[in-house]
Amino acid sequence: MTKETLIEFNNVSYSYDDEEENKRFAVKNVSFTVGRGEFIAILGHNGSGKSTIAKLCNSICIPTSGTVTVGGMDTREEENEIEVRKKVGVVFQNPDNQIVASIVEEDVAFGPENLAVDPKEIRIRVDEALEAVGMYDRRFSETHRLSGGQKQRVAIAGIIAMRPECIVLDEPTAMLDPKGRARVLKTVTSLNRELGISVVLITHFMEEAIGADRIMVINKGAVKAVGTPREIFGQPELLKGCGLELPDTAKLCEKLKLENIDIRGDILTEDEFVDEILKLTGKTE
Amino acid sequence: MIRDITIGQFFPGDSFIHKLDARAKIVITVLYIIALFMCKNFFSLSLMLLFSVVCVFISRISPKLIWKSLKTIIFIVLFTSALQIIYNNRGEVLWKPFESREFAVTTGGIYSAVFLAVRIIALILLSSLLTYTTSPTMLTDALERLLSPLKVFGVKVHSLAMMMTIALRFIPTLINEIDIIMSAQKARGAKLDNGSVGERMKAMISVFIPLFVSAFRRAAELAVAMECRCYTDGASRTRLKVMKMGYRDAVAFGLLSLVIAGALFTSYYGFSSMFIFEPVM
Repeated sequence: MTKETLIEFNNVSYSYDDEEENKRFAVKNVSFTVGRGEFIAILGHNGSGKSTIAKLCNSICIPTSGTVTVGGMDTREEENEIEVRKKVGVVFQNPDNQIVASIVEEDVAFGPENLAVDPKEIRIRVDEALEAVGMYDRRFSETHRLSGGQKQRVAIAGIIAMRPECIVLDEPTAMLDPKGRARVLKTVTSLNRELGISVVLITHFMEEAIGADRIMVINKGAVKAVGTPREIFGQPELLKGCGLELPDTAKLCEKLKLENIDIRGDILTEDEFVDEILKLTGKTE
Repeated sequence: MIRDITIGQFFPGDSFIHKLDARAKIVITVLYIIALFMCKNFFSLSLMLLFSVVCVFISRISPKLIWKSLKTIIFIVLFTSALQIIYNNRGEVLWKPFESREFAVTTGGIYSAVFLAVRIIALILLSSLLTYTTSPTMLTDALERLLSPLKVFGVKVHSLAMMMTIALRFIPTLINEIDIIMSAQKARGAKLDNGSVGERMKAMISVFIPLFVSAFRRAAELAVAMECRCYTDGASRTRLKVMKMGYRDAVAFGLLSLVIAGALFTSYYGFSSMFIFEPVM
């Protein structure tokens, strides 16, 4: 893939002092790039430094050592701050704590308002953003009456309205029910496919990473592996070592292999699994 | 019970009242309240009451909602009215519990009790209409504009308005949270519903401490989220909805001036002879 680089982490470490004033590394010597239009999933166990990576992306956190650049701008420089945040938007786990206004459309307008966008242009952006996440019909609703999944989609719309080139989502589905989770994930995927916005999806749900172009596995603040979903899920030992669980289909394949059934090791989706089983049992359509 | 609070609730619509400029609505409400306290007799007061009833009618807000907001203040109305009946001893004596006129129920007392009740009801009607028909953001934006002359004295008007927006936004969230914490503490045996007053007060501490901790956590997260959305000091912000005074606002001000003029005229000239008792207030 020869895509233009959007975000570049170059040997980045981030440390903080804990209660006993010991240096603790949340992120250690991490290097990776996010290309324009790319969909990257970052997988990691709780406390693996995932959230810090999200905050390093748009200069909320400044690296202790190493450099983070967004579109060639160093996030360390204060004068780049606003430009960096315009390019890279971050959506967090708890939608309740990201919504500023009481009415959906007014909340979505918050970002463009801060950027001093012309009111007519804000109107266009807000409508487009709400259409993109499928919340246009609820634009006049009170935000506290929405479900968790709807709130999270409003939060995403609030970022899209700023027309970023990349969206970083820090466990956006962790607090949602399965239905809301599926809907948010669908929204994120369509933003990437249809609007060409780069996506960095930070999660600990393996299923959510299947659709990504690349997966990066992190553990204890360090990168353990980078590869396509097939490459990563083909290494169950590695994932388990990082405290992660395999997707259900992969788990099933592994069990079948233990029963000496010769099944492919890189099956990701349920459809693929069904096809493979049909093939093995000789019942191909 | 705690969910009945309707502070800052907004009911979207497209009535004449909804379309008024938020600044106009605030100024109208303030002027109305001032005029309300200058009314001296029932004729002027009913004129004012009529104005707010007509406003409610135009806004197409359901009377049920209006009743809900009136219900919460009914106790205050009854209490102040009762005080008026007991302490106002002018006019004819209707019932005398003691030898002297003190604490007697008099026509004057009843007159001023009813007068006061109507005045409070009119006040609540129009001011709840203000929040029912104006979105919180518009309301705080309007306040920010109206208070902007204070910037000369170094008052951070924008920050104040932003704090209000956030406070209004988080009222329902925190009410919900109180509910959850109360259930959790009850499940652990906290005496929130029974026990002596002292015990209940102590039990409430176990509700408010977690609430405070969580509120601080929310504030920290919200601050980061706002920074991610390029919020700085708000000096150069633009707005989705541009405030513009239009013919509607002129009409509204015109109507209000007529009503107030009428009310004040009947209060101070001519009509006072129609009523025997001067209310105390």
